[in-house]
Amino acid sequence: MQKSAPVADPPFAGVLNDFESLVRQHRPRIFRFLLASLRDREAAENLAQDCFVRAFKARDQFRGGSSLATWLMHIAANLVRDHEASSRLKFWRRKLRSGLDPNDLSDWIPDQQKSPEALAVAKEQVDAIWKAAASLSERQRTVFLLRFVEDMDLLEIAVVTGMKEGTVKTHLFRAVQAVRLGLEVQK
Amino acid sequence: MNPHLARHLTREQISKCLIGDATLQESQHASSCAVCRGELARLESSFSQFRGSIHRWSDQEEQLSRVREVVTVNYENHLERLLIPASVDLPWYKGIVISVKELIHPPKLPPLEVTSKPVKLASLKGLYGGHETTAGLGSVIVHVAVVALLLFAGTLKPVQQAMKEFVPLFAPDLKPLQPKPKPEQSKGGGGSPQKTAETKGELPKVAPKSFVPPIRPQDDPKLAVNPTIVAPEMPNINSPNYGNPLAGIGIPSAGNGIGTGIGSGKGPGVGPGSDGGIGGGVYKIGGGVSAPVPVYRPEPEYSEEARKAKWQGAVLLQLVVDENGVPQDIKVIRSLGLGLDQKAIEAVQKWRFKPGQKDGKAVPVSANIEVNFRLL
Repeated sequence: MQKSAPVADPPFAGVLNDFESLVRQHRPRIFRFLLASLRDREAAENLAQDCFVRAFKARDQFRGGSSLATWLMHIAANLVRDHEASSRLKFWRRKLRSGLDPNDLSDWIPDQQKSPEALAVAKEQVDAIWKAAASLSERQRTVFLLRFVEDMDLLEIAVVTGMKEGTVKTHLFRAVQAVRLGLEVQK
Repeated sequence: MNPHLARHLTREQISKCLIGDATLQESQHASSCAVCRGELARLESSFSQFRGSIHRWSDQEEQLSRVREVVTVNYENHLERLLIPASVDLPWYKGIVISVKELIHPPKLPPLEVTSKPVKLASLKGLYGGHETTAGLGSVIVHVAVVALLLFAGTLKPVQQAMKEFVPLFAPDLKPLQPKPKPEQSKGGGGSPQKTAETKGELPKVAPKSFVPPIRPQDDPKLAVNPTIVAPEMPNINSPNYGNPLAGIGIPSAGNGIGTGIGSGKGPGVGPGSDGGIGGGVYKIGGGVSAPVPVYRPEPEYSEEARKAKWQGAVLLQLVVDENGVPQDIKVIRSLGLGLDQKAIEAVQKWRFKPGQKDGKAVPVSANIEVNFRLL
């Protein structure tokens, strides 16, 4: 970190210069979002790495218009979009078609001394949401994950995705409707 | 209560509440109406389960990747410890300069002082300890003596005579000749509970197990399977219906036996016998069918007439040893007369066998037994 940040943004220069602690602080969240979006640990790790590389390269452009976390999440969301668009792996569709998810999310339900029945119900629900989220479009899924996994409000999501708030609402509404439908089908 | 909020929230309105985009009225209703609140709470709990799962999964993966990182770092450290540290390792050009310098001006080293003295060691003298000549002479003498002794012994008359009379003899193999294993001649039989005897027709395919019998084909089966029988490969004919290629012509029938085969026998084979195979009768020894071994064999008695007539000889009996090792269906093939046949049958009826086996399963096997009658 020999290069000093430009003089234009002194309040964030310190934060961005201590990049290691920044990574340590924000990586879990970025990684979680990427993991949930891509469902692939390897890809999520790679993209998390890419995300911080990009952030480091573009640290001069960070003006402090939003919080650092939002800015990083914005990079991550862009990466997810690029990944989906460029790789054309048909990853989600393939997952959906095979119907077998090696990383079965329902194995990770936090069991707070639940009864087996409650745990089974929770498993079914989580599975249903996971499947429904898989069938969403990339934008809807990103919005949905940001809202319900990362607990962001609509304005933050708008900043992260670069959409207008109204557009975010529409996408989120459709995503929620689709997920609810999935939950009802499960029943 | 506000009249236009008396109705419950619609699906869309609940979704809006969930994403935090509800109007004031809607959120008021959601907080006051128990039904809508319950619905919202249920959805929120599902979503929070989902969130919890993803958080937990990602935390776990994060930890794993951290563990992997630690392992990698340790590994590299370990490698580094094996390499020469950079402080010791000189760059190559410096090494060249140093060796050129040493070539021109060899560094003066202190003179080498030898402080040790040579010591005589017996083990360094070789195998003979300096007595090579004596050892070589001794060896030659011993060899000449041995060769001379052999020549002398060979030229002696009595020795030559004894050698001439020596004829090599080889013990002949006196074991009875064992029959070569014949190809499988297991006799089997089929059966089909039909009124008429089997008629001429094409044999079904041969298979180790008969899943679909050649009789009563099912109409419109879900999974079509060709009917099979259990029999050795045999010549076949081309015919529109299944039957025995050796049988006579008549109304198509698969025979009047019991089981799933063809013919008047019992089992999945062809013919009047039982079990798999073709033809009638029981299995014969050979070709995968082992011989029954007698385990209890009482001696036959002599009949009074034969004793008086001093009559000797052997009776050859044919019998079937069933699965339990009990002889059945005993017939005389070579008779001896004077009541000895009867006595032989009586004796063999008491015999017990270890039954013959096919594929590890006891089967009835046809066998011949010779009963000897000798007067002492």
